[in-house]
Amino acid sequence: MSVGLDSLKHIVVLMMENRSFDHMLGSLKAVDPRIDGITDEMFNLDDTGAQIKPQLLAEFQGQLDPDPDHHFPAVDLQIFNGDKSAARVPTMKGFVKSYYNQRRDTAHSQKIMYCFKQSDLPVLTTLALEFAVFNRWFASIPGPTICNRAFAHYGTSFGRVDMNPFDIIEPFKSIYTRLISATPKRTAKVYYYDTTSSTMEVVNLLQNQPELFGTYKQFLEDCDNGLLPDYSFVEPNYNDHETDEGEELASDQHPDHDVQAGEFLIAEVYMHIKRNPTLWQSTALLVLYDEHGGIFDHVNPPNCVADQFTAPANSTGTGMEFKFDRLGVRVPAVLVSPWVPKNTVVQGRVFDHASIPATVTRFFQLGDVPRSPREQGADVFIEPNVAPFDPNRNLLSLDVMRTDCPEFGV
Amino acid sequence: MAVIAVPKPSKKSMNPDREVNCLLRAQVEHLQHAERRLPLRYRSEIYTHAIRTEGEAAQYIREVTEAIHKAHADTAKERVKRARAEKGGTKPKAKRKKSARGK
Repeated sequence: MSVGLDSLKHIVVLMMENRSFDHMLGSLKAVDPRIDGITDEMFNLDDTGAQIKPQLLAEFQGQLDPDPDHHFPAVDLQIFNGDKSAARVPTMKGFVKSYYNQRRDTAHSQKIMYCFKQSDLPVLTTLALEFAVFNRWFASIPGPTICNRAFAHYGTSFGRVDMNPFDIIEPFKSIYTRLISATPKRTAKVYYYDTTSSTMEVVNLLQNQPELFGTYKQFLEDCDNGLLPDYSFVEPNYNDHETDEGEELASDQHPDHDVQAGEFLIAEVYMHIKRNPTLWQSTALLVLYDEHGGIFDHVNPPNCVADQFTAPANSTGTGMEFKFDRLGVRVPAVLVSPWVPKNTVVQGRVFDHASIPATVTRFFQLGDVPRSPREQGADVFIEPNVAPFDPNRNLLSLDVMRTDCPEFGV
Repeated sequence: MAVIAVPKPSKKSMNPDREVNCLLRAQVEHLQHAERRLPLRYRSEIYTHAIRTEGEAAQYIREVTEAIHKAHADTAKERVKRARAEKGGTKPKAKRKKSARGK
């Protein structure tokens, strides 16, 4: 049905931290108007009533201090600008107000609107322009990391919008368990950077299935030796630390870690896949971010299928319950494969992190496994290579593999 | 196609004395949740309430992550030992805890 999908054997997901679409890729609207980035019409009001527009003044480190609040109540303010009425709609006008609340510094609060220039992010912006960039990939919930990453692993956060430990609730299993329990058996691995960085999925996965985990060094070796599993989830380095081999700089791009370290990581992952010709033609790499980190984006998060769980009013911090029927703020997401046409902009379709287990489950034909309503309702970023097949939805659509893909000096 | 340069971050970017961010604080809490379920011999001697910096968090994260792996590995080794012993026809001795009285 599709040469690209026929060739596809491995899906790799690299999930970075806490940066919004406009912040990282908004500058690309000037390069390609189809990319829904920043314009001069956008603004937030600061505490003096001045209109603060997005500007290409983001810095790699030292600017977003304190770390912008990205917990559920703060994100609610960012999206709805303080409106708590039943009929409220998103305005995306509360980012400056939210950041002002943290330091009460007018000038500093405006920096939440800053974005990177294209030349600041040669890796991410090149991948976005050379492969497929998603105009509408959102965080799964308007809240913090742990819950959003849960959607990538399980298709749900089990009713949680906070950062506290949680236990998974049957019958929903992780995508890794589904893969290794399938008939025929599939393979999966979570590659954390090293044991000092570890994983964000501790309580359920690391504690119960440590055999699922490998290190980033092993990921690179597995790429070089053609030993990647069917599905790989790669986590960046979450903290600065010393090792026997020297200093390891945090590469997750979570404020206030150096954004350039994350660029290097993304380039390294890409190049290790690309340098192995067999792997390159048979792998799709999704690079994306878990949530927006409290940083400005202009696109209203849409409503979505409600999950079967509800976060009660006394757990959200807003005084209102949350039925997981609205997505979080938009994040950068790029799909890389030599079968993706150059300069693909994915428009008119909505994705969130539940799309990850949805895609992997359907592509590898894992059968009729229990899935959350959110995952069942999520779009897939790789079409299952089975009938009925809609070629219009297939992003790996080339009949001949590209030979003009970029190379990075890492 | 020309190779695209990827600038390396400044050496000054490294700061293990940076105040721990909310994500690392949450990760520490998750690991502490897991550590409580480990047998005593695997537990760290780090007081997590005193963690203030990224470097301190990193040390704890490493210790508990490696302890979880070790606990599983040790159990797996015992399982293999028992399976071999049963295969060999010899029933392995049951492990007994020493009582408080030492009997």
